[in-house]
Amino acid sequence: MNDPWAKPLDERLANLPRDIAPPRNLWPGIAGRLQHKPHRARPLLWAAAAGLAGACVAGALTWTVLKERLAAPAAPVAVRASSFDEPHNPSYVAARASLEVTFRERLRLLDPATRARIEASLAAIRQAHEDIRQALASDPGSPLLEQLWQSTWHDELDLYDNVVRATQTTMTRT
Amino acid sequence: MLRAADAMDAAVEPVELIAAAAGGDLAAFEQLYRQFSPRVYGLCLRLTGQREAAEDCTQESFVAAWRALTGFEQRSRFSTWLHRIAVHTVLARRRGLRVAHEVAESATGLPEVADPGSEAPLDLERAIAALPDGARHVLVLVGLYGFSHAEAAQTLGIAEGTCKAQLHRARGLLAAALGLEMS
Repeated sequence: MNDPWAKPLDERLANLPRDIAPPRNLWPGIAGRLQHKPHRARPLLWAAAAGLAGACVAGALTWTVLKERLAAPAAPVAVRASSFDEPHNPSYVAARASLEVTFRERLRLLDPATRARIEASLAAIRQAHEDIRQALASDPGSPLLEQLWQSTWHDELDLYDNVVRATQTTMTRT
Repeated sequence: MLRAADAMDAAVEPVELIAAAAGGDLAAFEQLYRQFSPRVYGLCLRLTGQREAAEDCTQESFVAAWRALTGFEQRSRFSTWLHRIAVHTVLARRRGLRVAHEVAESATGLPEVADPGSEAPLDLERAIAALPDGARHVLVLVGLYGFSHAEAAQTLGIAEGTCKAQLHRARGLLAAALGLEMS
């Protein structure tokens, strides 16, 4: 650091406050999203199975209702197995693959704009999943990376599940 | 031996609060929020350069921390662990992972942070916010929040050499923006 401006710059940076109070109380928004530690919730496999079972109900699709349902916040799958062996569990992987098939079938029924948005979200999730997988490869012991990797794995399933369920109710009604 | 990111936050680790929160005590977690949210919000604000985005990321970070708390093994300080979650939340948001929560960038992209008593910090904040993303992220993590280059590189998913180069670039751009090169 031989630049003459380095010292005055460092001094200015050092004087910046690191702590900045949020301009509003963010806690209510956080607390509203916290669950009381459901460490062991319904296994994700069952969530996938529920999605598959729902997919068996046939019917027609009402586009307006579908859009409303997609716009509404979907109920979370809320499934986070405490030991993450899902990617290595053959029965789970098979159930997930079946759910993806249903998701793909339902996706084709959606209007192009909605479909494009969902495809973009899925691509972003998969890219994040791959980025984190690569980071994990160089730092396999990182609990945080492991958690994030699990999160993207579940995010993808949540997306499948939301689309299947959003179309399911409408198909059941009609 | 504590790393740089740990050393800068010399406050006593709230071990009991962490343990209680990990056990599901929401009141304990709220106390952790009260203690750590200004640092997390400051980090998010400077990484995003946008107040609404920083608020969203702060909330997302604490929600993610709550969910992951049982996996926190105290191999680093709680603040370090929490800051990493915040950085990943900001980066995930930028990738569009949470498209539903995306907000439009402000016209200037400048942070709405100012010390009312002084113009200089605001100038510096604006200059930081105007940096290219890669340079700003490294400057904020390494130059402001005490990450080591190795930590920042790992968190950002870049090579350590890239991290150092980005910091050098950021500092040069800041010096130019603030007119320090002329003095």
